[in-house]
Amino acid sequence: MINFEEELKKFHPSLEIEDAEDAIYNQDLTDMADIMVKIVKETKEAETKNTDGTAE
Amino acid sequence: MNCYHCGCRLTEADFCTNCGVDVVLYKKIMMTSNAFYNEGLEKAEVRDLTGAINSLRQSLKFNKNNVEARNLLGLVYFETGEVVAALSEWVISKNLRPKKNIADDYIIMLQNNGGRLETINQTIKKYNQALVYCAQDSKDLAVIQLKAVLSMNPKFIRAHLLLALLYMDAEDWQKTERELKKCQQIDHGNMMTQRYLKEAAQVQHPVEEEIQKVTAVKQKKNEEVYRYQSGNETIIQPIDVHEPKGVSGSSIVYLVMGLVIGMAITFFLILPARIQSAKADVNNQLKTVSEQLSSKSADMEEQQQKVDTLTQSNKKLQTEVDAYVGTDGTLQTMEDLLKAVNSYLTTPADTATVAAALEKIQGETKIEKTSQAFQNVYNTLLSLVGPSVAAQYYNAGISSYKQGNYAAAITSLQKAFLYNKNNVDTVYNLANAYYKSGDNTNAATYYQQVVTSFGGTNRARQSQKVLAEMGITATVSGNNKTH
Repeated sequence: MINFEEELKKFHPSLEIEDAEDAIYNQDLTDMADIMVKIVKETKEAETKNTDGTAE
Repeated sequence: MNCYHCGCRLTEADFCTNCGVDVVLYKKIMMTSNAFYNEGLEKAEVRDLTGAINSLRQSLKFNKNNVEARNLLGLVYFETGEVVAALSEWVISKNLRPKKNIADDYIIMLQNNGGRLETINQTIKKYNQALVYCAQDSKDLAVIQLKAVLSMNPKFIRAHLLLALLYMDAEDWQKTERELKKCQQIDHGNMMTQRYLKEAAQVQHPVEEEIQKVTAVKQKKNEEVYRYQSGNETIIQPIDVHEPKGVSGSSIVYLVMGLVIGMAITFFLILPARIQSAKADVNNQLKTVSEQLSSKSADMEEQQQKVDTLTQSNKKLQTEVDAYVGTDGTLQTMEDLLKAVNSYLTTPADTATVAAALEKIQGETKIEKTSQAFQNVYNTLLSLVGPSVAAQYYNAGISSYKQGNYAAAITSLQKAFLYNKNNVDTVYNLANAYYKSGDNTNAATYYQQVVTSFGGTNRARQSQKVLAEMGITATVSGNNKTH
């Protein structure tokens, strides 16, 4: 049996058009490609540091 | 597909031909994003909008620059009534690819139609207000708000669902199902819609589960049924059930019985009703005709009364005309009298002309009914010319009498009697002429007049003898005259 109060909690206020700008700016646009690039970059930096330390 | 490091276009190789970075993983990520986009597109085509949203969001999680996926996601949001979300996706898409982007068209379309955008904003505000009403337990107000929202934006799924939830809470299951059906028409894959529908079906048809179980058992035996809803009733129609071919004896018996019952119904129920109806029609027509006849009769009576009135009026007028004619006649008589007077004054010896005029007057009118002055003139003229005229008529009468022409004698003697009533010979010979002609009645009258007026004379005695011969007793008066 559906509980009205519980179901009502699943409904959230809809964004009004005035709030669209904030919604756009606050949207997290980070994707898997960004994460991959970041990981690759960090990995390379770590390798560079390790190489420099070994050379010293 | 471009290299994430240098931006150079990638080839089929697992590294960038320009900068040499490894792009195997990057390519897999891009391909996964595209795969989710394709999946989302397929779901959107079959109106599984919820599924399409999930797939497209997945696609964008792998590749935020997948403009097609973002545009399609915006379009799906717009279709479900989530206009702000749709706008957000299109604006981001436009920023990612400023040129040759269909999102630009979508945004321009919305911006140019300011009224539409304002209406959408109003629906969103009303929806939010409805949510507030729900939280305040003002469900009736919430329902009113949501109805207003859906009248302006009929594809707003969240509003449909909230309205359905309110109907469910009010246990108005028909309206609940109606709203949920609308949701299904917009979005086939909405899980909340499915769940609410199932809940409504369970409450409305508690036996449904049992039927489903039985159906499942029957399906194992290849006995499928086709079930559908008709109003408040659930119709279960078996499929693949074939009627036995051929005509059995019982079928014929049932057919004959049906025919007999049908005929009996026709004779005992339908036919009397038809006959009654026909009789009623005939009676109505008869009544109408009778009314018309009565009306005509009344008209005829009225016309007859008019005719009678006119006839009476005509008679009255005719009487008046006769009176005028009488007046004319009097005038004519007067003219004749004046002519007679004139003739006497001019030629007194021409008594015949005067006599003819006087006789004409006597024939036209009754002297006693004329005026006294007329009578005086007439009588004076008659006395002046009477003896002479009487003698002429008397001689003519005697001449005719002697010749045996009694009719001519009667005529002449009557005229002679008219002009001179004191001549006993005139009366006596007139009586004789009547007697000779066989008219005893008039003969007796004039004989009696002789006896009465000229009693004691020979003529009187002779008249008495004749009367005695005729069997009449003469009446004698004391007024005797001598001849």
